[in-house]
Amino acid sequence: MPFVGEILKYRSVSIVGLAKNAGKTECLNYILKRLPLDYFNVAVTSIGIDGESLDQVTSTAKPEITLREGMFFGTSEKHYRQRKLLSELFDVSDETTAIGRVVTAKALSEGKVLLSGPSSASALKRWMSSLDRIGIDLVLVDGALSRLSTASPAVSEAMVLSTGAAFSANIKDLVSKTAYVVELIGLPLYCGPEPEARISSFSDLSGETIRECQVLEVEGALTDRLLQVVKNELQNGEKELVVSDFTRIFASQDLYRAFIKRGGKISVRMKSRLLAVCVNPVAPNGIVLDSDVLCGTLSEKIGLRVYDIVKNVY
Amino acid sequence: MKFREIVDSPCGLRFCFESLELSSGFARKTLLDKEMMTDEKAVSAAYDTLRVYADLVGKERRLVENVQFKLCGLREISGTLSSLKDGNVLDDIELFEIKHLAMLGSDVRTDLKYLDIPGIDIEYDKIIDILDPDGLRIGTFYIYDTYSQELRDARRRLEADPDNEELKDDVMTLEDGIKQNLSEMLRPWAADLENLMSALADVDINISKALLMYKEHYVIPEIGDRSMIKGMFHPEVKALLEKRNRTFQCIDFDFRKGSTSTVIGANMGGKTVAMKTLCLMQYLFQFGFAVPAAKAVLEVYDIIQFCIGDEQSEKKGLSSFAAEILRINNVIVSAGTGKRLLALIDEPARTTNPVEGSALVSALLKILNGKENLALILTTHYKVDYAGQCWKVKGLVGGSAGLRMDYELVKTDTNDVPQEALNIARELHINDLWINEAAMILGRM
Repeated sequence: MPFVGEILKYRSVSIVGLAKNAGKTECLNYILKRLPLDYFNVAVTSIGIDGESLDQVTSTAKPEITLREGMFFGTSEKHYRQRKLLSELFDVSDETTAIGRVVTAKALSEGKVLLSGPSSASALKRWMSSLDRIGIDLVLVDGALSRLSTASPAVSEAMVLSTGAAFSANIKDLVSKTAYVVELIGLPLYCGPEPEARISSFSDLSGETIRECQVLEVEGALTDRLLQVVKNELQNGEKELVVSDFTRIFASQDLYRAFIKRGGKISVRMKSRLLAVCVNPVAPNGIVLDSDVLCGTLSEKIGLRVYDIVKNVY
Repeated sequence: MKFREIVDSPCGLRFCFESLELSSGFARKTLLDKEMMTDEKAVSAAYDTLRVYADLVGKERRLVENVQFKLCGLREISGTLSSLKDGNVLDDIELFEIKHLAMLGSDVRTDLKYLDIPGIDIEYDKIIDILDPDGLRIGTFYIYDTYSQELRDARRRLEADPDNEELKDDVMTLEDGIKQNLSEMLRPWAADLENLMSALADVDINISKALLMYKEHYVIPEIGDRSMIKGMFHPEVKALLEKRNRTFQCIDFDFRKGSTSTVIGANMGGKTVAMKTLCLMQYLFQFGFAVPAAKAVLEVYDIIQFCIGDEQSEKKGLSSFAAEILRINNVIVSAGTGKRLLALIDEPARTTNPVEGSALVSALLKILNGKENLALILTTHYKVDYAGQCWKVKGLVGGSAGLRMDYELVKTDTNDVPQEALNIARELHINDLWINEAAMILGRM
């Protein structure tokens, strides 16, 4: 039972997929199946699903999560009514998502439920703090597609990353793209004097500021455009960019690499722990990658164990 | 006039509203929807209630904090309750909401057992018993097995064979029957529950008002047939000054219906702040809040009108003069209705030339003079006729550290406007060349 023991050390863990069908749901179900519940209160939710109960891309139903008796969960009113388990209501929030208010309940039997919790990172944080009244030891957050923000250390302390053939059908490319995300997650914490300048939007940026300051704090997103400008200034001296956390970096891999290669540095204010990387070698279009090769190559590249939880029943 | 409509008045009511420590969003909404009281009896009753809560907050802070914490769980469930009233069958989320409300009400009732709270005494035991068949008295809910042996058996069978569609259907049918029964049993209390929800919001509002009074040193005013205020302050300006380690100078003022008060005085003498404070006090008074003063007797009005230059109307495309003159015209119209009117007008016609400006102000004072239901308070830099009771800002006074502003308002018999603009400009270190030139023009060098 790899990495599940590790999860228990944290109060909040998010499961993040790098692409649709990357195996995030399997990963979550895998964890849920193995968590010890007798002395441990677990709550699970998902960051909102933008009001769709059907997957807009493939028109298939959103995957349901299997809960065990005793687990707490947060979902929207609509999906609560469609649940396929017996559960006891604990709270109905007064915050509304696109498909109703967020309901918190405890499963009284094993069964399936669609998770569609709070719709923003800040609403999610509020929901998590409302759980204090119930006495929850661990919150698992199912991060929806393109919602890397749930993995922000501002929301959850640790994360599990799931990646797979759906993200890229070429092992080399998949490994490289995944390794990039892992590298961003691992960016060092900033420890230096207060940065000389803060940039909150691109329009704040003057060539002069960049030229004169060695350390720049980026208050919003670190985009390609911004990174490009700073990169061009590297010839005039060292530059370090400080971002809030890795989820704020939206720069492309190539540009990031070029920046680092020329001696640029990026550090973060808050850091999240990466507990495990799970892979799904099967893509929805039928492509199947060699699981062992994929796990081996990726593991070697990122220096962490990589699990194919579907193939290998750990 | 609802609280919502005046909360963003330039007098600064928003600041007081945001200073309230309301526990629930529903109480916030309830307060915003309250109508301004224009009846002495209603205001008096509101203050009687506030006194009770102020006493409670003073003596039992722990208990109050506990109640506030519980009230965080107050939710607006009007939709559910009207659905219940309309004869619909409630689902488990709605049944949970009702149980949650009833348990919250019962809890708060127990905590505040010595208080007389209208609408809070309902038949809690009967309602909660319906939704708590096991007598656990905890705030969670589901369709309990205890409701029917049949349901219990069906659930056991389903548990053994979870994919059996027929069994699933059986369970659902049984649950639906129970939901229908529960809804029927709860229906007679729908109106009581609605009242309870409002009563709890009022408890939340009253606790916040009492806490605000303690925290910010407000007082409960007396109700009288004229207004006399000692030591009033503007909470927002006071807070701003305190941030900069400066103190707010409290001032006194009095006025009554059937009379005009004109406030004159130097620039930066606090005239506008005084007007804002008077307006704010009057609103707070008529919504049953304690007021920011050391002591106050206040009179109830039907209409409160505050005319002050603000950017809003300029955004609407009116020139500042046009916007102002239209607002003042509303005062003239209201004064003709015979309703008790408090009109506060800050520097009317200041944006036009002084010749016509002072004519306009004198004329305004003349036509509004002697209206017995109108209390008019006006500030101006112009020398005007029909000024009524004149008040003057004491203005710049000498002290050990040079000149300083004394904001006190004193009654004066003359309507001569003070000429201190140049002195104040000098205090602000404005370009000497300019100010000396101005002084020369005035022939005072």
